[in-house]
Order: sequence, then structure tokens, then C-alpha cells
Amino acid sequence: MGSASTTIRTSRLGLSMLIALTAVQAAGEVTTERGSSIIIFPKVVFDSQGLLTGQPIDTIIQITNTSNSLVFAHCYYMNAAPVDPTRPISEANPPRWQEINFDILLTKQQPTHWVVGSGRPQNPSDPICAGDPKNNTVTNRDCVNAGFDPGRVPLTPDPFVGELRCIEVDSSGAPINGNHLKGEATLVTPEQSAPFATADASKYNAIGLLGLNSDLNSNNSDFTLCIGGGVSAECPGGAEYSPCPETVILNHFAEGAANPVIDAHGNGPSSVTTELTIVPCTQDLENLERPRFTVQFLLTNEFEELFSASTTVDCWGNFRLSDIAFNIFNEAVIGTRFVQTQMKAPPDQSGFLAVAEEFHSQPGIERRAALNLHGDGKRIRADIIRIPEGR
Amino acid sequence: MKTWCLPIAIIAAIAVSGVGIPARSSATVASDQPGAILVFPKIVVDTTQPPKTPRGRIDSLIRISNTSDEPITLKCFYVNANGHCRGAPSVICDPYNPEAVNLCATDDFCIPGWQETDFVVNITARQPVAWLASQGASLCDQSLDPDVPCFPLGDSRSGIGGQTNRDTRVPPVPENPFVGHLKCIAVDRNEVPKEHNALKGELEIIRSNEDDLDVQAYNAIGIRALAGRNDGDNTLVIGGVGQCVEGSRANAVCGHRNDCPGGTCRLPEYEGCPNILILDHFFEGANDPVSGDRINTVLTLVPCTEDYERQVPVEAPIQFLVFNEFEQRFSTSRIINCFHEFRLFDIDGARPGDVRSIFSAAVNGTLTGQTRMRGVTGDDPRLGYTWLGVAEEFRDGAGSAAFNIHYHGARPQSDFIHLP
Repeated sequence: MGSASTTIRTSRLGLSMLIALTAVQAAGEVTTERGSSIIIFPKVVFDSQGLLTGQPIDTIIQITNTSNSLVFAHCYYMNAAPVDPTRPISEANPPRWQEINFDILLTKQQPTHWVVGSGRPQNPSDPICAGDPKNNTVTNRDCVNAGFDPGRVPLTPDPFVGELRCIEVDSSGAPINGNHLKGEATLVTPEQSAPFATADASKYNAIGLLGLNSDLNSNNSDFTLCIGGGVSAECPGGAEYSPCPETVILNHFAEGAANPVIDAHGNGPSSVTTELTIVPCTQDLENLERPRFTVQFLLTNEFEELFSASTTVDCWGNFRLSDIAFNIFNEAVIGTRFVQTQMKAPPDQSGFLAVAEEFHSQPGIERRAALNLHGDGKRIRADIIRIPEGR
Repeated sequence: MKTWCLPIAIIAAIAVSGVGIPARSSATVASDQPGAILVFPKIVVDTTQPPKTPRGRIDSLIRISNTSDEPITLKCFYVNANGHCRGAPSVICDPYNPEAVNLCATDDFCIPGWQETDFVVNITARQPVAWLASQGASLCDQSLDPDVPCFPLGDSRSGIGGQTNRDTRVPPVPENPFVGHLKCIAVDRNEVPKEHNALKGELEIIRSNEDDLDVQAYNAIGIRALAGRNDGDNTLVIGGVGQCVEGSRANAVCGHRNDCPGGTCRLPEYEGCPNILILDHFFEGANDPVSGDRINTVLTLVPCTEDYERQVPVEAPIQFLVFNEFEQRFSTSRIINCFHEFRLFDIDGARPGDVRSIFSAAVNGTLTGQTRMRGVTGDDPRLGYTWLGVAEEFRDGAGSAAFNIHYHGARPQSDFIHLP
């Protein structure tokens, strides 16, 4: 009997190992299209007056529980707006680096959303969307908070620029490897004067960090989250989440290049510019230490010619490519309309994640389109997210 | 101690080596990593003046880059999914948009099409290239219009190591207006499929009129090749477990040729397409909470399996599960064929503005929802019947945005791309 139970235990253990090994083999880099345990929205903007962005803008956050179980998450806004939003960022007017956090709860398969500038109050009597089938008319379209409220989502300051990251936890608040969260962010500019005469929207998927070994939950549930890497003093059990990519790849127009469709339709002259938003993988929300890291750019033009540049990002970076390194991204310098840019951080600094927005313009009109970037390779060094204890 | 160490060691060794267990691709496709096959689920063109479709004057810009230091050849396939009138085959119609002007005669109707056109693109190391779907592209040496994207490395100029784009010529899409999709497969110079996970791509759909502009972009979906698996034939095996072909164990699961006496073990050559597609969306007719504009979502689905050899389109049902923010669930299903572009309300047969659709905000009561889509396994139990797709959000009187949809899981069955 003892032998038989040992064999069963052995088989279970062996199968668990098999599952664990399979899970490790299946674990890849960050993802923008699978349920994850940490989701990161690199670009979140609310600016009702257009003080920072030139036009009023707000962001709609959508998050969904892709599982049949209840899911809890801690979410953290990181405000990178300058102390005085009417003046540019400088040493005398630094970014705030202010963290605001809150909890959300999603029932099985529940989608939820909120508008960053409005938050989401808890009110079970929110009016629901409604229609009259007899007359085939919608009688209430203004049902913005209808549905189970995921929790009380706070309003952000106005203006707010920065990031949002949500970490899946259990009911006690301990981080877990559930891989149940997905999300999208929609940046919406309401109707204004030219060049945004009519409303416009761009949308990207949240970037997900997969919890590893989710069948066994190898996450040690402490408040130091190990993103990739091996065993170390900070990460005695090794990686808990998939590593950040070694290289982030962006295909883009050279700055100022013409959009061939606009010109072919006779509506030119046109031009395209790209805005890149970069956030670090490492983040210390306990001590509010600002990760400062270098981003190396390797550009290849259509002639297969190589160029390189670098910039420094302090916690959250958001810039037009034309603002980097003596206009190297400009079409006149790089020589072709289309460019591939590969970006890396030095191995001893924080890894990073990014999204891009393209701004296409023809006379009197400008329009935006967001893109998730590609990742290639895995960083060897662990990135660490340290969250405040007891949250 | 000895009694349990041995089985664990054996199982661990099996897991590491993969020997003796069904060979299965462990991951699925990805639009955020370079792959060996790129899928652009939606390409639209209408540059006619005045435009013949309600889409307006529109064109698609296709961008592809090689992320590696080696040159690469692509074998690309446009699939023309234009509808044509049954009684007048030269007349293009739109079978996907119930609001489209019916260009067919009163007693005629629109039949969806499936017609492939293929071409070859040579890309040098790390090179980004692009072309307009309406115009195609050739070497810049041969290009007549300097403002149209072209391939710059040809007879007059070469890249590092003498690499060029020679022998590349991308035809314009075969009809204007056009709706369809594009698949590009990494091959060698002899057009034999190659394991080269170095392709990334994006597509921009641009609508430009004198007083209006709209731009949306999505990432091409990459299918990664599995190391050491490609047998170089013209049947590409996408995901699934190994399966015996012919022999005494035909159709049985296998991990090695020895598992299939008298036959061969067909192993997956590429990572699998997803079991379930997940779309977060605004319900139809809801108002954007920021701009106040009414939102509609358009979903485009294409099959993972494609038979370019026999020109046979895949037809299969898709099950849709819809969840609102009250955790309430609705479901519906549709049989789709080859390529399908839906407004969400069209999935369950409603008309524009119909408040009876299960995708309507009026029925769901909430602003946003989650829809899970699953292709139903058909008559052939070996075939995966999986789908890929992309979504677009349209705001009345405002801009639109495209985005990639999410995936969940993989299937034990394979999908196949049969090359001519």
C-alpha cells in the first residue's frame, strides 16, 4: 500500500514536473495578445485643457478577466506630468513621479472599463444602456458606468500623463501567476478646432507579463516581483514572470516623410511623425526610486544603411523621434521613407517596454494611429517590480 | 528514495528531450514577435473617383521588415475576397456590408469570392520595405513615380555584401475596389519554405479626401517556425500534435517516424493558430464616453488553413460567446467562408441600428463586452479550423482605430497551408 501510494505520488510529482517543464518551455517574452498576470499601459493621458499635449485628450481603459474565476488586481497609476503643467519639464519643473494605486475585482469573464479623467465610482444604480425594440430605437446611450463596478477607480489629476500597470493578486492581496488579465487603451481627442477638427481615436493593447508556471504558482507571493532572470538574493526562486524583451523593434516612417496615400489622392503635401512612449520594466513603487536607463537605437534604412543614436529615459519617456539625437530620424538625414529601428537597454540597466503613435497630416488635418511594438529575445538580467507591502 | 527518483528522472528527461511524447507546438501565433509567416487579415482598396464603395477613397500601406542579418525571400499570396454579381461576373459587389449600394441587378445577388495572386519579394538584411496595395511596387530603378514606395536596392545600388531586391515585383491588387487578405511565407531562393523567424509587418489603412483624413494601423500576425521541423515540402503544418500519415497507425498521434509503421509522422512545422480568439469591444450603438460619438466595431476573420494549390476555401461555423459587464452571457454562431468582414450586429443577422442584436448596447445594458470566438472542428477531425482576425472601431463622424485581438490556447489538430 505504501509502495502504491508512493508510486501514485511519484507519478503525480512527475506529471507536475512535466507540466512545469512544459510551462517553462511555453513561457515566452511579454505579450500584447494573451491573458497575463501583469498588464502595463505605457501611455495614459488625460489633459482636458491640452496644456501638455496641445489638444484635449482622455484615455479609455478596458480590462477583462479571461477566466471563469474571480480575479483581483492591484493597479498603479504613475503620474509623470510636470509639477507646473503650463511650463516645460526642466530641473526647476520636474515630473511628479507620483504613484496612485487602487484595487479592482472582476467576476468570471467580466469586461470592465473606465475613463481616466473621470475614474469609476461605485454606484449600483448606474443607468444601463436601453432600447425600445418596438420602435427599434436606443433610448439611453449614456450608460458609461453600467455593469458591475470593478471597485472605486480614482480620478487622476488634470493633466495626467504617465502609465498604468495592474498586477493580478489573490483575495489576500498577494501576487499570483494567474494570467487572467487582458487590456486595451483608447486615446480619444474630442471634437475641437483644427487640426483635430473632428474627434479621433487611437488604440493599443496593454503589454502583458506572463506569470510563469501558472499551474503550480511558483510565485512566492512576496512584494518583490521577479521579471525574468535567474536565482538571486532578491529572487531566491528565480523568475516569477516572463522576461522583458532584449530588443524592442519599431517599423516607422522617417520623420517628416510623406504619406504616399495622401499624396497619391492629391490631398498633400503630407507628413508623418512618430511619437514613442517608453516605460521601464523595473519599478520600485515602495521606495519611489526612479529608474534611469539608456535606450540605444539602431536604425536601418531601406538601403540597408545603419545609423545609431541613444537617449536617456527617466522613469517614463514620451518623445517624437525627431527630438532624438540631432534629427537622425528625419527623412532628410536618413535618406529613405521607411526605417526599422531596434532598441535596447544596456544589460546592467532596466529593460523597457514601449508603444508608438503615428501622426499623419495633410493640410488642416492631423490624425493619429497607435501601434504595439515587437519584442525579440529575452533579457538575461532580472527586472524587479517592488510593490508597497500590505497592498 | 530510489523508487521515485527513477520515474521522475525519466519523465523529466522525456519532457526536456521531447522523445516519446506527442510532438506539439507549445505556443501560438503572435503579432508582437517576428515570425516566419506573416498574415495581414484585412486589406482594402478603393481609389476610384468617385469611390465605388461606402468606404470612401481608401488604400492600404503594407510594411514589412527583416529583423535579422540574413537576406530573406518571401512568397506572398493576396486573396481577393471581392464579391461579384452572379449574373454579371465583372461587376464587383460587397457581400459583407448590408449598407453597401447593391450594384447587382434587382433579380441578381452578390457572391463572395476567393481568388489568389502570388508574388515574390526579396528583402536584404534588416531592410524595411513597403508598398501600396493599389499600386504594388517594383525596383526603384524601374519605377516611374518617385513618390510611390519602391524597392531601392537593384541594378544601380546594392546593400552590404551585394544584397539586392532584384527579382522583386509586387503586383497591384487584382481589382479596384478590393477587399481581401495577404499571407507572406519565408522561403529560400528556390521558394522552398524556410525556418526564418525574422519577419515583422504592419498594415495601415488610410482614407484621404480633401476635407477628411483617417488612419488606422494593425500589426501583421506572425506564425513562428519550429526549429528543425520544416521538411521543405509544399504543405505547411501549422500547430497541432504529430500525426501518422498512412501505414498501420494512420491518424494516430506520433512523436517520431518509428511511431508510424509503414507510414510517416507528420510533425507541426509552425506554431499553432489559437483555439479561441478574444475581442474586447464597445457594444454596438454605444456612445464613446469621451467624445460622445457612436461606436461600431468591425471584425475581420480569415482561416488559418489555406489551400492555394486546389483553390478551395475553408468553410466552418464559428461560435461567439458574448459577456457584458454584468457577467451575463449571450451566444450566437455563424458559418463563414474564406474571409469575412462583419459589423458586430451583422453576426446575429441584425440590421444597422437594430436594438435586437446581442451585440447591441441596448440588449446588453453596458458599454463594453468581451466576445470569445471559437472555430468549430468540421468534418475532417485532423483539421484545426482555427481563425485569425483583426478588429476596427469606427466612431460616427470621427476617426477609426484598428487593433489586434487576443488569443487563448492551441489545438491538438493542425491547420495546413498548401502552396501551389
